[in-house]
Formats: sequence, C-alpha cells, structure tokens
Amino acid sequence: MTTTEAPPRRRRVTSLEVLCVLLVLALVGQNWIASILDVAAVRTGATVFVAVCAQALPFLVIGVLISGAIAAFVSADMLRRVLPRRVALAVPVAGIAGIALPNCECAAVPVARRLIQQDVPPSVAVTFLLAAPAVNPIVLVATAVAFPGEPKLVLARFLGSMGTAVVMGWLWARFGKMEWFAERAMRRLPEHVDGRSRWAVFFETARQDLVDAGGFLVVGGLTAAVLNVVVPRAWVDTLGTQVVLGIVVMAVLAVVLALCSEADAFVVASLSTMPLLPRLVFLVVGPAIDIKLFVLQAGTLGRRFAVRFAPLTFVVAIGCAVLAGVLVLGGVR
Amino acid sequence: MRRETQNILLVLLGGALLKISFTGAYLRYVKASHQWLLITAGVVMILLAAVSIVRELRGERDLDEHGHAHSARSAWLLLLPVLAVFLVAPPALGADSVERAAGNRPAPPPEVASTEGDGSALFPALPAGDPIALPLSDFSARAAWDRAHSLDARTAALTGFVVQDGDDTYVARLAISCCAADAFPVKIKLTGRELSNLPDDGWVEVVAKLRPGTATRANEYVPAVTVHSVRSVPEPADPYEH
Repeated sequence: MTTTEAPPRRRRVTSLEVLCVLLVLALVGQNWIASILDVAAVRTGATVFVAVCAQALPFLVIGVLISGAIAAFVSADMLRRVLPRRVALAVPVAGIAGIALPNCECAAVPVARRLIQQDVPPSVAVTFLLAAPAVNPIVLVATAVAFPGEPKLVLARFLGSMGTAVVMGWLWARFGKMEWFAERAMRRLPEHVDGRSRWAVFFETARQDLVDAGGFLVVGGLTAAVLNVVVPRAWVDTLGTQVVLGIVVMAVLAVVLALCSEADAFVVASLSTMPLLPRLVFLVVGPAIDIKLFVLQAGTLGRRFAVRFAPLTFVVAIGCAVLAGVLVLGGVR
Repeated sequence: MRRETQNILLVLLGGALLKISFTGAYLRYVKASHQWLLITAGVVMILLAAVSIVRELRGERDLDEHGHAHSARSAWLLLLPVLAVFLVAPPALGADSVERAAGNRPAPPPEVASTEGDGSALFPALPAGDPIALPLSDFSARAAWDRAHSLDARTAALTGFVVQDGDDTYVARLAISCCAADAFPVKIKLTGRELSNLPDDGWVEVVAKLRPGTATRANEYVPAVTVHSVRSVPEPADPYEH
C-alpha cells in the first residue's frame, strides 16, 4: 500500500479501499469495541490516550507549520549566514534561539528535522530540539506558578535544561555521525524560486510532516496511556527522603509519564514529601527525553539516531540537573 | 499510503478535534483554555488536506513525486484517535483513577511550613452562605493546612463523584493542570451515614461538616466529614477541578 512508484495499471488494493473497509468494520463493530473497553482500567487508559493526543496535536500542528515555513521561506544560505560558522559557538546560539520559540517537545522534532535538511549542522539542530521545549518563557512561568515559594527552582530548571541542550550539542558535534540519521531525514528539498511554488512547498511540507509525525505521536500517546495506568504513582511517596534513589526514580518516572513541559511542574509540585533535587531532575529530564518523544524521534529522525541519542540525553540531563541543583539550590533541600 | 488516504485521515482527525471542542467533550481530556488551540489545530489540519486535494484535482503534482515512496505506514495510526473520539468517546476519569492513587496531595502551600502566621493569607475568609459551595481541592487544602480553621463550624456543599473503597465511601474529584494525563485525585471521606449503596462514579452533591483534625499526614491528608444530606446531580460540564 505504500508503493506509490509501483508499476502502474495493475489492479491492486489501494490504501483508500483499506481505509474504507476499516471504517465500515469499526462502525459495524462499535458495540463490540465498546464492550471491550468497558473494563475500568481500559477506560481510564482510553481517556488518557485521547487526552495526550488532544493536548499534543495542536502543538505538533504549530511545529509542522514552522517546519513548512522554514522549508519554503528560509533558504539554507540564510541559515548559514545567521549561525556562527564555528559549531562550538553555533550550539549555544541554538540554545538561546530555543527561548524565543515557545514550543512543546512534539513541535520541536519536525522543526529540528527541517533544520538538518536545510544544511544546519545536526549538533545545532539537536541543541535546538532539546532547548526549545524546556527553556521557553511559558514553561518557566508555569514552573514559577507551581512552586510559589521557590524562585531559585526556576533558575535551576533553566540552567539544567540549557546545560543539557548545549552539552548534548557539543557531544554530538564531536562524536555524532551523519549516517545515524534516517535517509529521509536528510533528503534535501529542491530550492524553489517563484512565490507561488513557495506556498506550494509550505503546504506540502507541513502536510507531509503532520502525517508522518502524527502517527508516531499516536504511538507515543498510546504508550504513555498504558504506563500511566500500569505504573502506580503511589510508590513515589514511599521513597521519602532517599536522595539518590529518589533521583533515579524521578528520572525514570519523567520518561515514563511523558507529561507536557507546561504541566510537569504542577505534577511534581504535588509530590510534597520529596526533596527539591529529585523533583528538579524530573523537570529537566522530562522535556529532554520521554517515551513519546523517543518514539517520535525514532520515526522522524531515524531509529539508529534515537537509540544513541535518547540514553545519552537521559544521562546528561540527570547530570546537568544535579549540578544545577547543587549550585543554585545549594544542596538537596 | 496514497496521498488521498492521508488527506482523508487528516480531515477525519481535524474533524475529531473540532467535534470534541464544539460538543464540550474536550473538557474530559484537556483544560478549558485549550479549546481554541484544538479548534485552530482542527481547522489547520482540514485546510492542509484541502489544499492538497485541490492541487491533486488540478493535476499539480510537481513537488512531491520524487520523495514520497517512504510515506510512513505509521500514518495509519492516525485512525486510532479518530475512532476513539467518534466511536468510543472515552468518559472523564473517575473512581478507577482515584483508586489507583493513594491519598490526597493537595497543592502543598510551602509557606504554611515556613511562616509563623495563621495561614490567613493563603486561605482568605470564606464568603457567607449556608451551606457554602466549595471545590473539593479547596476544602481538603483548608482541612489539612488552614491554621485559622476557617471550615470549623461551617457547612459545605461538595460536588463530586462517589468512590467506594472497601468499607469506606468517598466523594472525589480529579484536579488537572493541563490534560487528563496529569490528573491527581482529591477525595473526602463520608461518615455518619450508611452510604454503601451509592454506585461508583455517580455524581452527587454532599452537604456536610468537616470533622476537624481528620486530615493528617498518616491518612495522606484525606479529611473526613459528617454527612447531612446527599443528592444525585448531573455530571458537571467540566468534570475536573483546576
């Protein structure tokens, strides 16, 4: 069904027909589907699944529109002129650019891919990918609101996330390999000149990115919903004040729960029995890497990229968060 | 996957987002201020698909001939949220989510621990009224933290759903900050009357009085109330507290 370049004129089942059959089956089997879903845990999972989709899709749409705009109106030349030539300098610039683009993590993935396609060094794109969802004003304000008595936590979160993004960029500049990216992530778009076809490029790229990334977002949402139901949040409370264990558990929890970066501060604020440092780790790790983001990255940028990038990000983010916490908060607290 | 199929999927998905935002069902999944985001996203999706369909009809297929043999099979998954919204329409989170979590975690007011005052800055005086209608999260936070004891000697009207847990009956509500994935429960134990016949997830308005000192660290700050009356009410438009 995906062979658009198959030899023509041979009668075969098209995806359109498959879709129609699926829709008819779903309509006919509606009662049966509803009866399966009538288990309390499954119902809870279904609600969380739709919630994650409804909450993330608008941000993905913003992301693909930015991605389409870059593809259509920003040439590789322009980007080259704006960015410092030396990668070591371009990486922090990309981190700061992340502040200006209020983005959720799902929106950043298609934009990062677009930047790579426009000849931006991958290390720079990677920094942007990590910085944009974590250090933008919306997230920082949300954090300040969730922790009214702890302005230093906002600063620590900013430093931890920015540190993660820049360190990952530098590491990628030094050790990263182009062949880890999926071939389609690298494919250059033809340069178009006249205005009319620029708009055509805009619409087509945005549409294609949305179709591609949307599917992976759904997988991520599904995973997050299952884990949300299966992992009992209660065991967080039993940890009490064990700091090292607390840090590890909170980091894993950030990956597993896959909360959006605007909401995570409120969730973590409610874990009042836990010291601040493990909660800071949660806030720095969450926007950098979580289960839904991993699936999205594997799909858009390539599996070989994601299996290397995700674990490394996880470790670097924990390190940066602990460092920022010790420096700014002055210890575990 | 063919472009036509992709476009139909996008129209369906955009339609699903528009449907939940116009019917109000979106309040089961995300907070109220996301409505315009959902509408915008739905419209943009349909627009992107429409532009592509129009270009297809006009025979303009210049741009993407070279690139889209890869057309991700993952796009099929877009059908899942569509089916979930149109066929299943998952309900708001309820008793099951409350039972999964341990106790109440009222937003911890850090000042309570640090300041010497009576906490009156955090908990402004309650308005007049008997009974006084209060969100469950406000009620349980005051029960646990308010040193001025503003709830003592007041009768409150609490709206939430019923949770039967062992021998105990609770009235509960979920509080969300962004979407239902980050919901945390607020529950209040009902005492003083035999209520075990109330079904789980049924919405009720409970008129009751706080039993002072019942929300302690040991019971995870779940306050107990003495019930005066219970009546069934319809599920509110926004099932969550914020």
